[in-house]
Amino acid sequence: MTAVYSSPAASDGLMPRLLSQVWLLARQVLWRLPMLILVSLIVFVILRAIPVDPVTMLLPPGATQQDIENLTAELGLDKNVVMQFLIWLKDAFQGDFGISIQNGSAVSSMVAEALPMTIQLLFFGFIAGILLGVAIGLVTFSYRGTRVEKVILSINGIMMAIPDYLWAIILIVIFGVGLQWLPFLGPVGANISIDHITGFLTLDSLLTGNWEGLGSSLAHLILPSMTLALVIATPIARMAYSSLTEVYREDYIHAAQLRGVSSKRILMFHALRNASLPTVSLVGVQASVIIGGTLLIESIYGLPGIGSLMIKAMRSFDMQVIQAIALTYAVTVQVINMITDLVLFQLNPRLRMQK
Amino acid sequence: MMAYIPAWAVSLIKDNNVLIGGGFFLLLLIAAVFAPELAPHDPNEQDLLAVLLPPMWADGGMADYPLGTDSLGQCVLSRMIYGARVVVIIALTAPVGAAIVGSILALIGGYFGGRADWVINRIVETWLSFPAVVLALILMIALSPGLHNVILAIVLVDWARFCKVLRADVMVLRQRDYVAAAQITGARPLGIILRDILPGIVPSMISLMALEISIAVVAESTLSFVGMSVEPDVASWGGMISDGLNSMYSSPYPLLLPMVAMIFTVLATTFLGQGVRHVVDNHLSERTQGA
Repeated sequence: MTAVYSSPAASDGLMPRLLSQVWLLARQVLWRLPMLILVSLIVFVILRAIPVDPVTMLLPPGATQQDIENLTAELGLDKNVVMQFLIWLKDAFQGDFGISIQNGSAVSSMVAEALPMTIQLLFFGFIAGILLGVAIGLVTFSYRGTRVEKVILSINGIMMAIPDYLWAIILIVIFGVGLQWLPFLGPVGANISIDHITGFLTLDSLLTGNWEGLGSSLAHLILPSMTLALVIATPIARMAYSSLTEVYREDYIHAAQLRGVSSKRILMFHALRNASLPTVSLVGVQASVIIGGTLLIESIYGLPGIGSLMIKAMRSFDMQVIQAIALTYAVTVQVINMITDLVLFQLNPRLRMQK
Repeated sequence: MMAYIPAWAVSLIKDNNVLIGGGFFLLLLIAAVFAPELAPHDPNEQDLLAVLLPPMWADGGMADYPLGTDSLGQCVLSRMIYGARVVVIIALTAPVGAAIVGSILALIGGYFGGRADWVINRIVETWLSFPAVVLALILMIALSPGLHNVILAIVLVDWARFCKVLRADVMVLRQRDYVAAAQITGARPLGIILRDILPGIVPSMISLMALEISIAVVAESTLSFVGMSVEPDVASWGGMISDGLNSMYSSPYPLLLPMVAMIFTVLATTFLGQGVRHVVDNHLSERTQGA
């Protein structure tokens, strides 16, 4: 029996297999690069249309014509858009995203400071969302053919229609204001300070043994993460449910049932693995929606992530910051797509065979 | 004499989702059209002696303000009725705009193939992998607030979804015998596209447009929630929710009422979209399905 399943890769030895994995990863990164450059170019061109002149915003009111010309040349704004973009791109590759007009600090450090907050939110949101979604899908499936199934599906359908920022407000109203169970403003309690090591509040407080800080930062993350989780969970629940229904029509499930395999084992080892494929690719497809959701969630819950930074930058027409954050969002989407692609690759042997 | 009613029209008016969603949308449309007659107050009229009043049925409510007032003493009901105008205009225009842009590019790329198709495809991929909210916000900074600009921004964000689906349809239709026949008779490409291909993608276009309604409405409300949509003096539900959030502790009504309206509207437009798609799939899409 086992001989039939031995894959060609296994017989090639460890090194070629490792190499092919590295190549796979490199290819994943390489073909996404042009896309990121294209995104940056599009955003760059759109931002040139801003109805505000950055030069006059930077200069004091009494600036002379000479000052204006000097600064225009210094910022490279006297060149055409393509040249400007190429200069921006060259600097960006070296990690230099310019200076913020809000406070004169380097854009790269502003984004780097805000990014851990967003990553934390995404991390907890994704885990909670996927677990919740799969759980709802499984529960719905286990009630198949009953009225409960229909009720859960309808509620799930209604929940899917509610946009992310309304979820944030609904959770605040219920758990923050109404029941007063959880905090809903800021990243951590007002009188708690956490030493800065990595920038990830939960990690830093864990590293320094600051249990009060850990508890507070986690408590402040619950509602924002749950908001994101609800946005993620509802489509996953539907997908998990319908792919399970699909898989149970397959012959190998019947075969396993006839062999006397317990229904729990069939679900866990036969069905769930195959049903997880469309669910994982759904996460990849939805990645951009989910990441867009963090923007409003951060600003509603007052979390100092890149979404809040973006909103602030928009209000003061801070082009360099907007440009850098747009790229950060694009990279984040691509990273999540890459992870889901690699997970799919591991889950589905058929994808590995194709070249 | 019996008038001929096509089967799809019968299914459409018998579909529960279409009835519920369409019915609600019709109410919204009526509210929007007759806003000046229906609203008890001017939406921007401030009564600073009556701020944050509860609805008339609650303690301290006034019959003059049926749904109470917000933190500036503006009539919540009037603002909601006027806000419905924004919703209805977005719902009716943005899907059409996105369909036009998306289908033109889909027809060019899908029919001619080659380099144009490659370029369009790369752009669509890039568009779909970028968070729509972020792109819409960036567009709105460049375009400055206003209803026309919001519509434009939503169209410029959402055309890609249309293009992706419709291009696949065009690729299927291009292989059809009647298209080959038209090509052999020496019809010009534009003629073939308009006469033979375009009618075939209309069903997909209709279902995409129906689904786009709720997407566009949510997009506008999100933009107006962060103050990046219509001009500040135009009442919009997203703006009301944002204002209501700030005065949440004094009075929850200016927050909850527009939220409820928003959720019902999104649900109704989602139902409508799904119903229309269901009917279209069952009746109209035979050209692009099967061999």
